[in-house]
Amino acid sequence: MDPAVARVLVESTVKIALFFFVVLTVIAYMTWVERRVSAWIQDRRGPNRVGPFGLLQPLADGIKFLFKESIVPPHVYRPVYLLAPALIFIPSMVTLSVVPIGPAVSLFGWNIALQVADVDNGILVILAFASMGVYGIALAGWSSQNKYSLMGGLRSSAQLISYELAMGITVVGVLMTTGSLRLNDIVTHQIEHGWNVLYQLPGFLIFLTAAFAETNRLPFDLPEAETELVAGYHTEYSGMRFSMFYMAEYANMITGSALAATLYCGGYHVPGLHALGLSEPVAAAVQVLAFGAKVAFFLFVFVWVRWTLPRFRYDQLMNLGWKALLPIALLHLLWVSFLVLTGRG
Amino acid sequence: MVIRLLLGLIVVVFAFAVIRALAPARTVLAGAALAAGAVALVALNPAALATVEFWAGLVGFAAILSALMIVIHPNPMVSVLFLIVNLFCIALFYLILNAQFLAAIQIIVYAGAIMVLFLFVVMLLNLKAEEGLTARGGGLQRIGAVILGGLFAGLLFDAIRDRGAQPYFEPGSFASGFGTARELGGLLFTRYLFAFEAASLLLIAAMIGAVILAKRRLR
Amino acid sequence: MRVEFFLLVAALLFTIGCVGVLVRRNAIVILMCIELMLNAVNLTFAAFAHESQSMTGHVFVFFVMTVAAAEAAVGLAIIIALFRRRRTTDIDDASLLRW
Repeated sequence: MDPAVARVLVESTVKIALFFFVVLTVIAYMTWVERRVSAWIQDRRGPNRVGPFGLLQPLADGIKFLFKESIVPPHVYRPVYLLAPALIFIPSMVTLSVVPIGPAVSLFGWNIALQVADVDNGILVILAFASMGVYGIALAGWSSQNKYSLMGGLRSSAQLISYELAMGITVVGVLMTTGSLRLNDIVTHQIEHGWNVLYQLPGFLIFLTAAFAETNRLPFDLPEAETELVAGYHTEYSGMRFSMFYMAEYANMITGSALAATLYCGGYHVPGLHALGLSEPVAAAVQVLAFGAKVAFFLFVFVWVRWTLPRFRYDQLMNLGWKALLPIALLHLLWVSFLVLTGRG
Repeated sequence: MVIRLLLGLIVVVFAFAVIRALAPARTVLAGAALAAGAVALVALNPAALATVEFWAGLVGFAAILSALMIVIHPNPMVSVLFLIVNLFCIALFYLILNAQFLAAIQIIVYAGAIMVLFLFVVMLLNLKAEEGLTARGGGLQRIGAVILGGLFAGLLFDAIRDRGAQPYFEPGSFASGFGTARELGGLLFTRYLFAFEAASLLLIAAMIGAVILAKRRLR
Repeated sequence: MRVEFFLLVAALLFTIGCVGVLVRRNAIVILMCIELMLNAVNLTFAAFAHESQSMTGHVFVFFVMTVAAAEAAVGLAIIIALFRRRRTTDIDDASLLRW
């Protein structure tokens, strides 16, 4: 085999394996973070029995889910029922693969980009897989073959496609100032011209709101609320498959946070790191940690908002998406055009 | 060599379909055995994995198979799912043809928006499998359609085969911007500007029309 | 990669779409077969664009996709309106020129 091809294959495999491992660990510990932070907000303790500070709680939860009986109700449409949890997971993983977590480093004489796939149209990949995320939920709702799941799936899909419009428009705003679809170029542009959150604040807020809606998190989680429609689209799922939905929601949160950090908050940029004059691998490691810190901050915001705000009713949700966010996003686009025309962005 | 490998894989897939139709209880066993067979076939010709022809052939097979399933399967929801698979295969074709922007747009617009629309309508109308497969004209209409379709396909194949030798472009000889958003945008906003604006007007008209047509009349 | 391969696949997809329109009775499946035909045409355009190294083919694909989206939306709206009236999506039932 061609040595260049072999090198790309080995590099990609190692990166993918590392990404998977890290993301799955973060997902597991997000459950712990959620429970501890919600407890702190509600003035009580979280899990603190299993291991020090309850740190082994996710392990215990995982083992519990694994040992649950795997029930497939007889009336479901089997092929799609079994496929749907995976279909929710896959788009968020693919989107994460184009996000750069650090600058390119030269290790062992090779120039390795800290990104699984450095495609020329990274933003389009993100938009494409954001729109593919609708299918997992809609198909989970349909394949369960019961009225409540169908309604839950329909509501959730309608919510997702409504908010992905506003999200796309704000991403176009970022694209206009950067002039390139590559995510690396977006980060480089922010390093040179300042973080996008500074002059595109409305866009950032819209993006964050849309990210909340896209991940089905409170205040937009009507489709899966326990008091509504039994349990929405994952009514008929139990055991390991149910936990797949749960994990997929956290994976989507991680992707949303990573995108918010990359598109608006400078990605792996640490302002002032250049002045310290660190050697290249150390600087790269610091920047990777900075990226991780930004993602962690956004994840904390996700949890914080969940336990602070009440849930939107479905018509309020759709009104917000179409009648409020979309016009504001279009006005924001006008603002960004003004910035680009006057040479500021 | 690539063609033999592809034919072998096609035979494996059809064998699986036949076994699933004839002995449903043995599906998992048959699936595992045939998957092992497919892996063995590929392992015997590892050089084929590096050629574009192999992957294009595989994607083409998937596209044609999913297209057939759209037409054959009685349940409209399953037809929607197979159309999504087909659109994905066509997006992969666009990638092979150096049309990277079109591949992304295909997934965003077609597979991500238009098919969601179809999915919604099928879910809202709660359509089940078609009852009875007899058309108005009886089975004769269907057989006639299939025969005429076959003749049409033969006609198209003949036309394509008689194209004659065209200059073949090596993959590395493209201008570096071919297929990117920048090039397409450059063309759209200069040479095809009128069509672009007319298309946006068309979309607005379609949006308004769809809302009006599907509105519930308030009694 | 010879361009005839893509043209042949597109031709096959087009004929399968045509046969689907003629054979199926469910209006939504007929619309889906029309989308299949449009995609086959898009593939042909992209293949020719690749062969002649000209981006005009891509511009055509862009516009075909736009028109296909508009047509799918309006077509589905019509089907929904019909369904409300007749409770069926069978097009053989819509054979009279009046309700």
